[in-house]
Amino acid sequence: MKIALIRVTFFATLFSVWYLIVKLGNIPSYILPAPLEVFYSFYYGFLKGGYTGAIFSSLLRVLTGYFMALSIGIMIGILLARYYLLDITFGKTILALQSIPSVAWVPLALLWFGITDSAVIFIIILEAVLPVALSTKNAMKNIPQNLIRAAQTLGSKGLHLYQNIIIKAMIPELVTGLRLSWAFAWRALIAGELFISGSGIGQTLELGRSLADMAQVIAMITTIGAIGFLTENIFFGSMERKVRVAWGLEGR
Amino acid sequence: MLPPKIKFINVTKSYDSASKSDVILQDLNFEIYAEEFICILGPSGSGKTTILGLVAGFIKPSGGNVLFNSKNITRPDSSRTLVFQDYALFPWLNILDNVAFGLTTKNHKNNHAREKALEYLNMVELSAYKDHSVSQLSGGMKQRVAIARALAVDPEVLLLDEPFGALDLQSRESMQTELIRLMTKAKKTVLFVTHSVDEALKLADRILVIGGKPGKLLCDTTIAVARPRDLNSNQLISIRNKILDKLSQSDLFMGLNI
Repeated sequence: MKIALIRVTFFATLFSVWYLIVKLGNIPSYILPAPLEVFYSFYYGFLKGGYTGAIFSSLLRVLTGYFMALSIGIMIGILLARYYLLDITFGKTILALQSIPSVAWVPLALLWFGITDSAVIFIIILEAVLPVALSTKNAMKNIPQNLIRAAQTLGSKGLHLYQNIIIKAMIPELVTGLRLSWAFAWRALIAGELFISGSGIGQTLELGRSLADMAQVIAMITTIGAIGFLTENIFFGSMERKVRVAWGLEGR
Repeated sequence: MLPPKIKFINVTKSYDSASKSDVILQDLNFEIYAEEFICILGPSGSGKTTILGLVAGFIKPSGGNVLFNSKNITRPDSSRTLVFQDYALFPWLNILDNVAFGLTTKNHKNNHAREKALEYLNMVELSAYKDHSVSQLSGGMKQRVAIARALAVDPEVLLLDEPFGALDLQSRESMQTELIRLMTKAKKTVLFVTHSVDEALKLADRILVIGGKPGKLLCDTTIAVARPRDLNSNQLISIRNKILDKLSQSDLFMGLNI
């Protein structure tokens, strides 16, 4: 209750200061719109404009790229864990790839795929595949040997061993990889969408810039932050915690 | 007399790397009969755990044969279950499902897995904890669950690798008493690895002392004393002295400080 009150006060102050700066500084709305203008942009954008459609197309794009990245990443992870030669060569390259920001892939993607969905999905896959590949590899390598042996001595083998022990033992580390991959995919999506045509959050953001509609720009930035926060922290964060508690890695 | 349940014939185990060959066990010969309670006693690094690994079927001998019911052991099997020092319970399963795990495998496919598991959990007096998670239990309780899990598949041989080594003295003693109680009922062949002479004297029908580097069988002593045992009785004191003597001789001989 007290925390809620503090938060409300904080945001009220923030909006007041914002409002005062705009009013007293006489700042034109294409540089910094007043809070209410951003609110109107949200209101009309969702009611009459294309915000809902933009969010929907963006989510569809990011989910497509994300799930493709997961299937590829898990496969790469398994191969890296299995083949040492692959790990010391390709495995190390992955680490280097991970330090490249997604926006650096944009020129390459545009030349290969044009200003299309495929270009964005390509960038998303490139970014999101790495964390899940690495966590799959680590998860496989870190399965406690005694758990496998305990299961074997109780008569578990083959498919039963895979389903009930190996995959289960990998889950906590995998979930961390899934969350990281999602965070990467989300950032890559926005970076890519700035440059392509069609409907989407990034496109709407870029449209705001070209129309000098700063309220729309801020509305889209807020939307990106809100969706990112909800998915990364609320959805994946709570899933990760639930798994860690269920696996006894964290107290309740 | 029945044929031995387990037989080691000239068993050697070594781990070879490019530069050298590390011999763990050398020319081991012994026989274990059904329903014997065997303690394998020796200092750390003498290859005791390797012996269990060979019987469990996790590893294969470099030379010689390890026989179970007169057949070579090729792979792990629920006829020989192992209890680990670190319990190795499955953290994502609750206590009951841990005990029931072996009963869900192909050979034991059992529609009443949970009911049967509950009987075994009852046997170690932990049925009240059936819905708890592994992390909620103390070390001693976890080990009782692990023993129930190992017994639930009704193995012929129960292998225990320093099962009470991580427990405090009090739980350790109560677990020893508990194990004696369980084994008098269950009538299994037991191989119990320990580095504590007193633990071996308290539990075993027969003690195999392993020592030296590479590990060899130093002595094979039968203890024909009814349980519970008084470790200060003359008979047990003399056995203890004999064992300690053998162990220190091997240390002296090897120039090792164990």
